Amino acid sequence: MVDGAPADSGVPSPTSGGGPGRGAGKRGTHRITWRPFVRSLHRDLGYALIGLTFVYALSGLAVNHIADWDPNFKSYKATHLLKAPLPESEQAVVAAVTSELGIREPARVTFSAPGWIDIEAGWRKIHVDPRTGKVTVQGEKPRFFIRLANWLHLNRGKKAWTVVADTYAIGLLTLACTGIFMLPGKNGIGGRGGIFVALGVLVPVLYVVLSGGPGHK
Amino acid sequence: MPIPPETTPEIREAMDRRRFLAGAAAGTVIAVLGGFYAFRDDPETKQARAEKLPDGRGRLPPGQRLVRSLRPMGGTPGDPDPANFSLRVHGTVETPQELSFKDLLSMTQVEQTCDVHCVTSWSVLDSEWTGVRVAELAKRAGVQKEARFVIFESAGGYTTNVTIADALKPTTLVAYRLFGDPLPLPNGPPVRALVPHRYFWKSAKWLTGVRFSEVDEPGYWEVRGYHNRADPWKEERYG
Repeated sequence: MVDGAPADSGVPSPTSGGGPGRGAGKRGTHRITWRPFVRSLHRDLGYALIGLTFVYALSGLAVNHIADWDPNFKSYKATHLLKAPLPESEQAVVAAVTSELGIREPARVTFSAPGWIDIEAGWRKIHVDPRTGKVTVQGEKPRFFIRLANWLHLNRGKKAWTVVADTYAIGLLTLACTGIFMLPGKNGIGGRGGIFVALGVLVPVLYVVLSGGPGHK
Repeated sequence: MPIPPETTPEIREAMDRRRFLAGAAAGTVIAVLGGFYAFRDDPETKQARAEKLPDGRGRLPPGQRLVRSLRPMGGTPGDPDPANFSLRVHGTVETPQELSFKDLLSMTQVEQTCDVHCVTSWSVLDSEWTGVRVAELAKRAGVQKEARFVIFESAGGYTTNVTIADALKPTTLVAYRLFGDPLPLPNGPPVRALVPHRYFWKSAKWLTGVRFSEVDEPGYWEVRGYHNRADPWKEERYG
């Protein structure tokens, strides 16, 4: 017996298994030896899945609230009204806009059509309506980590990543299953653990029942 | 309340349990009240809920709440530069088209005010769009009578499907202006689809193609459990 380990802990003792004495005990005193393996598997899998859990959990939080913020980009938009009509030449428009808005970066026209001139200046995408003098400045900056996490999480057309995501999902299922059998006794699935498992299962069941489920109108 | 040091372990355990239960109950009450507060209707939503469309349907579809501007909602961004834009009109058509942004500007321009409804439950009323009717693209390409569906194709491989009847409605556009400005960067510039009578994921952003098809081809969200038709007034959110 290992010092301090309860009799039913499943912690291997020098005579409980793995050695030459395995199976030599009397009938009825056989000790369960798979539990240490389950714990080790749970622990090591838990360590291995930390990185992916952060990716999926943070991306999940971000995307859950996508109606309230843009989880991929920080966007900037401002509208200015310059004195109309603006000059006819594109270069004169560029000069007028950059001068009025105090833009020092090099600016170039990327597209023009009647009533429509687009200018790029550094991070800014500038739209000018030369007839009205209305100038719209837009820009965006990616949110580095969350954008990458969302890109991985949403998995649009990335075949190789599907293998990783499937492996992660199977890993989570394994974590859940090994978690059930980690502890024996009153804190295990037959006691406190069982209550928490039941509560956890009840949450989605109750939500489906109370909300009417996907077919509810 | 601190536990007196002279109490027995049994009493301490019972008091700890009571304290835990009291804390859990208080937390539950706060969460429930917070939930009611967060999900209650604001006055504008209440007012919109009372309004009716000419055909008698409520102006605000069931389960929707008002917001004042379009939400970003993610997606794989395409190139927002009109100079690099190209729209393929293809599939079951006589004359496949490859339209530039200038080609779109040279077609009949439609200015339209309409409400839009996102499946995540937000709606924007009276949004003002400028664009070209999909019906005009269909006419220009010579859609064959066998065409039954339209697949909107976007940057990053995103697709979404509508029936030919939905696509040819006069309110269905390929749009490039919102409230008089070019589409904001998160909302699919330079050109997006606009199918205002369906949930907004059908209004594909960063549009690259309009494909007419004899057979239905559920798109990105449709194959992931969202409804194939997506009528907001029937709450067709999930398939």
